[in-house]
Amino acid sequence: MPDQPPPLLAMRQIGKRFAGVRALSGVSLEVRAGEVHGICGENGAGKSTLMKIISGVLAPDEGVIEFEGRPVRLDSPQQARSLGIVMIHQELNLVPQLTVAENIWLAREPCRGPFVDRARQREGARACLARLGAGIDPEARVATLPIAQQQMVEIAKALSMQARLLIMDEPTSSLDEADSQRLLAVVAELQRDGVAVLYISHRFDELARIASDVTVLRDGCHVRTMRWAETTLPEIVALMVGRTLDQQFPVPTRVPTEEPLLQVRGLRREGVFGPVDFEVRRGEILGFAGLIGAGRTEVARALFGADAADGGDVRVAGQPVSISSPIDAIRAGIAYLPEDRKAHGLALKMGVGSNISIASLGRLSRRGGFIDFARERALVTGSIQRLAIRAASPEQPARQLSGGNQQKVVLAKWLARTARVLLFDEPTRGVDVGAKQALYVLMDELATQGVGVVLISSELPEILGLCDRIAVFRDGHIAATLEARATTQEEIMYLAAVGSRQPTGAATSADTSAMARSA
Amino acid sequence: MSGNRRTELLRRFGALAGLLALVVAFSFTSPAFRTFGNAMTVSLQVSSIVYLGIGATFVILTGGIDLSVGSVLALSGVVAALSVKAGIPVAPAMLLGIAMGAACGMVNGLCITRLGLPPFIATLGMMLVARGIALQATGARAVSGLGEAFGTLGNGSLGRVEHIDDQGFPDVSFPGIPYPVLLMAVLAIASAVLLARTRLGRHIHAVGSNAEAARLSGVDVRRVVLFSYVASGALAGLAGCVLMSRLVTAQPSEGAGYELDAIAAAVIGGTSLLGGIGTIPGTIIGSFVIGVLRNGLNMNGVSSFSQQIVIGVVILLAVWIDQLRNRR
Repeated sequence: MPDQPPPLLAMRQIGKRFAGVRALSGVSLEVRAGEVHGICGENGAGKSTLMKIISGVLAPDEGVIEFEGRPVRLDSPQQARSLGIVMIHQELNLVPQLTVAENIWLAREPCRGPFVDRARQREGARACLARLGAGIDPEARVATLPIAQQQMVEIAKALSMQARLLIMDEPTSSLDEADSQRLLAVVAELQRDGVAVLYISHRFDELARIASDVTVLRDGCHVRTMRWAETTLPEIVALMVGRTLDQQFPVPTRVPTEEPLLQVRGLRREGVFGPVDFEVRRGEILGFAGLIGAGRTEVARALFGADAADGGDVRVAGQPVSISSPIDAIRAGIAYLPEDRKAHGLALKMGVGSNISIASLGRLSRRGGFIDFARERALVTGSIQRLAIRAASPEQPARQLSGGNQQKVVLAKWLARTARVLLFDEPTRGVDVGAKQALYVLMDELATQGVGVVLISSELPEILGLCDRIAVFRDGHIAATLEARATTQEEIMYLAAVGSRQPTGAATSADTSAMARSA
Repeated sequence: MSGNRRTELLRRFGALAGLLALVVAFSFTSPAFRTFGNAMTVSLQVSSIVYLGIGATFVILTGGIDLSVGSVLALSGVVAALSVKAGIPVAPAMLLGIAMGAACGMVNGLCITRLGLPPFIATLGMMLVARGIALQATGARAVSGLGEAFGTLGNGSLGRVEHIDDQGFPDVSFPGIPYPVLLMAVLAIASAVLLARTRLGRHIHAVGSNAEAARLSGVDVRRVVLFSYVASGALAGLAGCVLMSRLVTAQPSEGAGYELDAIAAAVIGGTSLLGGIGTIPGTIIGSFVIGVLRNGLNMNGVSSFSQQIVIGVVILLAVWIDQLRNRR
């Protein structure tokens, strides 16, 4: 096609090795202006490595990169940025103590003589934020903003750099449904402006809305690039995992009973949530649905003693328990798998084995507190096998594991004890398809064994596909408890968002009007 | 991953190889260096760095720091000496000194766990307070006339062989192993076992690696942190008693700057100031690197000012090498 302009970015036969281990080989990718290009692949497929190469963080060992038809070397993020290639990382790169405007212009501050031109800084920031239709005060300190707004600040920052190719790595992983919709609308606007977007996500519903093309990577290799319209979800999943997954959710083996295992009455934290009442029955999976900030995580944390509750009555198997610290909760048989596993779930510098055994050391110790290493080893190797944790050895630092495997390590920690109630907080966030399936099967198995399972999730299909009953949270209260079989995504969304604006339409119209103003 | 194991070996034996290189080098340049007597002298000098270094390792492993040990050491020694002056026998008097150290550590730990003060600030405060009390209690004068028994701990040794020669002077055919060196060996083994093999040791690592994850796993984080500061304080108390015993005099100004030796020993031995990583063998090696450098440089006639320069550069090198290993 000689009359077509060269692609904005073309990569040919890119290869990269780390300490002799192949991370990428022979990967080619073309991105055109105004294209939203989805990148799919399991964790460890090489997505992050490829994005780091495009954004100048890593140098490829082999292959050619062309920008608008000219070969370029991207030796540093600065160099990539000067071409208009900007990456928004999954973990946001903002300085929380600085204001929004200061963050947007960080290291590129508009100056008048030796001084920062604060007025220009503020106005520039305001313009970028307005283009996104985000009503964020440029003078607000970033630490005071909710995570969704921080994400908007990151995008505004990218816009201020005249981004022509935007790389987004799981941008919605910490956003709730309404904010995700809003972000997708923004991406669509950028696309119309001729910005190319490389979009990494495990969430196919998002890609279906915005992606024009999709590239699948597996084991560091380029599997296939397709027009989104010409493929199907099962095809993509099959290409990602190299096999076909018959179904997303396992057929339940559990038989929920009416017997209450965990009863919570009047649990509350002043100004945060409650009072809430709910019960988890033996052998069931109870879902907590709701928008981010509705109090789901807060309730779970208070129940686990991670934050002090201001009141409430908790019974486990009919026995009243008093919980003022995680130690009390663990003793009562309640375990919590935190939302942010790196910050709250794992001692990242310690080995996989030590992380698995940390909550069971009492049982594994002889008199005098000496750890029985043989028994610890048996427990650890057993857990690693049972959960199919992919670790080089039990001594490998937890930091080096992929997201899904880290999640399994946290789970193994609690399975090593006989927990009666397990609270899962967003267990599949950032976890690849294969590991997700394994987690689903495990949750069902646990319920079958008589464990009460609570699943907090912002993915409605997951809640509907996995739970027996669903508690919908709104503004720190349980708005309703529904039978999963007898409800729909629409009903849950409505209950979770009643009283607030309809999420999808609102975001889109706000953005369109912002666009109209800036045009 | 074999790369992992290689990194681990480097971490463990890098400092040891450095230490051996120093010993070999000094043995060539100075014949007096490579004698059993000098080995014991170095060990004796190193012993107090080791006591403090073990405490520093506990504290730094939890992600903290203890700046107060130099002052706590002086206060403990002064308490022991004043107790002897007040008529208490030497052994219980020294135990009182150690208890004083533990109490200071307890205050540090409570300030950190209950009042939420940063460890740097809490122990900086204690550094001034303890030194002030020691100086105030003694009127800034050395406490002497403590009797021979007070000097036994610091100056005695096990297995010393001597006989009186023809002129009536004692002739030492084997100097023995000084008590402080024995004590050092016992403490080193006990603390290494505690860190590597017990629940408490595992908890210390977990707290330093991620305190919040440890708390959410049911670790009593406050108790673990408190323990490390009490241990550090008690070990400083012991160091104080040993040092004052060696001089048979309690000096309220003793030990200034020792906290930095202790931290340096831990860091040279591979302890990460960010917490979660570090071992007792590493700290012992780090202590000996400092001790052997001082002793060897002395024997080669290097001034104490130049020694400071060398030790400073060694610290920078050790941490830089550590950084290189961790970079990926």
